[in-house]
Amino acid sequence: MARYPFISEAKEWVKEEGVGIDEILFDSIYERARARGRERVIQAVEHGMVKDVPLITEIDCVMEIFSYPVARMIVVATGSEYLIRRYALAEAKRAYENMKNEDVGFIEQMAEEFGIAISGNRIHFVHYLKYAPTWDLKWKLVNREMRKGNVILEKHEIARLIQEAIRKKIQNELLYMFAPPEVKKVFGKEIEEIKKKVSFREEKNRMEEVDASLFPPCIKNLISATKSGMNVPHVGRFTMVTFLNAVGMEVDEILKIFSASPDFNEEKTRYQIEHITGKISGTDYAPPKCDTIRTWGLCFPDDLCRRVRHPLSYYRLKRRRR
Amino acid sequence: MNFLKTKFRSYYLHPSIEFPKRFDRREYAFILFGEGTMHRHISFSSKENLLTYLHLKSPAHVYYSSAYYRNPSAGTMKEKEWMGADLIFDMDADHIAGASKMTYEEMLLKVKEELKKLLSFLMDDFGFRKRDIRIYFSGGRGYHCHVSHPDVIHLGSQERREIVDYITGRGLNIKEIVRERSIQREYFADKTLEINPNKGGWEGRIARGIIDFLKEISEMDRNKAIEVLMEMDGVGEKTASSLYDSLTEERIRRLENGKMDQSTEFRRIAQPLIKKLSVSMHGSTDEPVTADIKRLIRLPGSLHGKTGLKVTAVDIEKIDEFNPLRDAVVFGEEIIKVEVKRAVEIKMMDNEFKLEKGVHELPEYLAVFLVARKMGEVSQ
Repeated sequence: MARYPFISEAKEWVKEEGVGIDEILFDSIYERARARGRERVIQAVEHGMVKDVPLITEIDCVMEIFSYPVARMIVVATGSEYLIRRYALAEAKRAYENMKNEDVGFIEQMAEEFGIAISGNRIHFVHYLKYAPTWDLKWKLVNREMRKGNVILEKHEIARLIQEAIRKKIQNELLYMFAPPEVKKVFGKEIEEIKKKVSFREEKNRMEEVDASLFPPCIKNLISATKSGMNVPHVGRFTMVTFLNAVGMEVDEILKIFSASPDFNEEKTRYQIEHITGKISGTDYAPPKCDTIRTWGLCFPDDLCRRVRHPLSYYRLKRRRR
Repeated sequence: MNFLKTKFRSYYLHPSIEFPKRFDRREYAFILFGEGTMHRHISFSSKENLLTYLHLKSPAHVYYSSAYYRNPSAGTMKEKEWMGADLIFDMDADHIAGASKMTYEEMLLKVKEELKKLLSFLMDDFGFRKRDIRIYFSGGRGYHCHVSHPDVIHLGSQERREIVDYITGRGLNIKEIVRERSIQREYFADKTLEINPNKGGWEGRIARGIIDFLKEISEMDRNKAIEVLMEMDGVGEKTASSLYDSLTEERIRRLENGKMDQSTEFRRIAQPLIKKLSVSMHGSTDEPVTADIKRLIRLPGSLHGKTGLKVTAVDIEKIDEFNPLRDAVVFGEEIIKVEVKRAVEIKMMDNEFKLEKGVHELPEYLAVFLVARKMGEVSQ
């Protein structure tokens, strides 16, 4: 249970122990839990994964369990959505590493906890699609053995799906959680420090991720046309926004490009961008492939274009060469 | 009043409309005769109201939303509040290669073949039961397949896209599916392709495809077989003939046990063969449409303004017997004078018509069809 502190059993246990937030935050008995809680967040920021600690005695386990709500409070107190996403993923990854070594019965129990219906090594395709990373070719449904609606998976693959369910669950919980004000009193210094690290990383990430000079010619054309105030057709805007979103550009930055547009209407444009990037619609549209862009008359290929079939491959290829 | 509209009105006096599930949560849309625009964002609180609307307006085209909404008549998606959507596959002749050169009847036959492939995917692979699936002749040039199982209603666009990719074989990773195995012999390594016709999913489909194809080849006479083989990429006459000669009974038996091996010829055709087969198995389901979670589809029981034929339910067991030009016809035998614009040959209601350009006295059902297709005009 201490290895999976986000399951309902652990939550029940914490409740039954009757330990209040004040105790966890201030009582010297829980100093270890607080230290470990801090560590969880820092590991998430620095390594992208929470690392295991040896759990030998009962007290080890108790501290480990209590460290989880502490870590959550710290994450929420930073007010960083980026950290929430990163932390949720870090916890989920750790759970995956542990689950891989558990027996089938345990995996089944975990699946049930997260509402994923499996029987043995079979999972219904609807549940599969909800959690499988299908952007990866090997996870695409078409490359899976499926019979009568059930996808057949290996144990570690089921664990991978549960990882995603855990990530979603933690992330959603944290997005709607408020940290009690006392947290800032206790962890004020740490929170500032973590915030700094996070914003540094966010910044670095962004610089690493978006380098406009590496964009394929079609996207460059669309951007310069939009910036110079030309009226770009709908499909062109769609292509550009989905592409920029896919390479990690924030909505505000995309919005800036549009601000020169003759019919610029900030509210409307923001709504449309947020729709396409999945902030409103829940669907994160993928950029169209080269074939499609060509049929729309937006393709102006250069030499490298001949080697790719998707604008994102162009970008990745060029970045690797850099 | 225009001829077609009068005829449609007479049908909409007593139409046989099949109302969608959760009828009052759907958006309805209409195109009226003589208008190019669509009237959208309409909802009906009772079935009676919809029937009255149909009779009064006698629209050329009637649609409803595959999605159901909290406020179906709201003007924007956000205000509509999406609650879920049926899974719809639109099998239309538009998406079939060479359809423009076919007659109407040939086209529909071709779409039927695709439809059967789709059904095999939906039932064998996706596990839907017959009662989850409804098939409708679209009234135009294709068929619609509706899946309304509770499991699929809440699927998002991305997840629907995965279903379409599965059915069309897009993103299929052949190397992952048909594994090449090296067997170390004394002095050299022999590569064997392992195929397993008993597996589910694409792996089994491809294996069965290969076996069926090679069996078929082995049963052809030599010249024909070589001709067929040479149509494949990278297969020359030499490879083709030596492959045909190697297809002994023993080899076919080994193949059925999943071993496709040894002969260089086999190896040479393996990749192109798999490719060719997977393409020929590709469905031609209209992709963007299926992944769309908020599209409009024709209302079953309504008439198609460009053919006058009815959007008609097709019994899944009797797809082969279904004949749109007989089973989707709602009009009668009353004689109407029609000026036919160009020569037409057509079989409708099991009657053969061979019409030259000029004025003919034709039964109402054919008159409506020709006028709707703009192949003729009512003459006074």
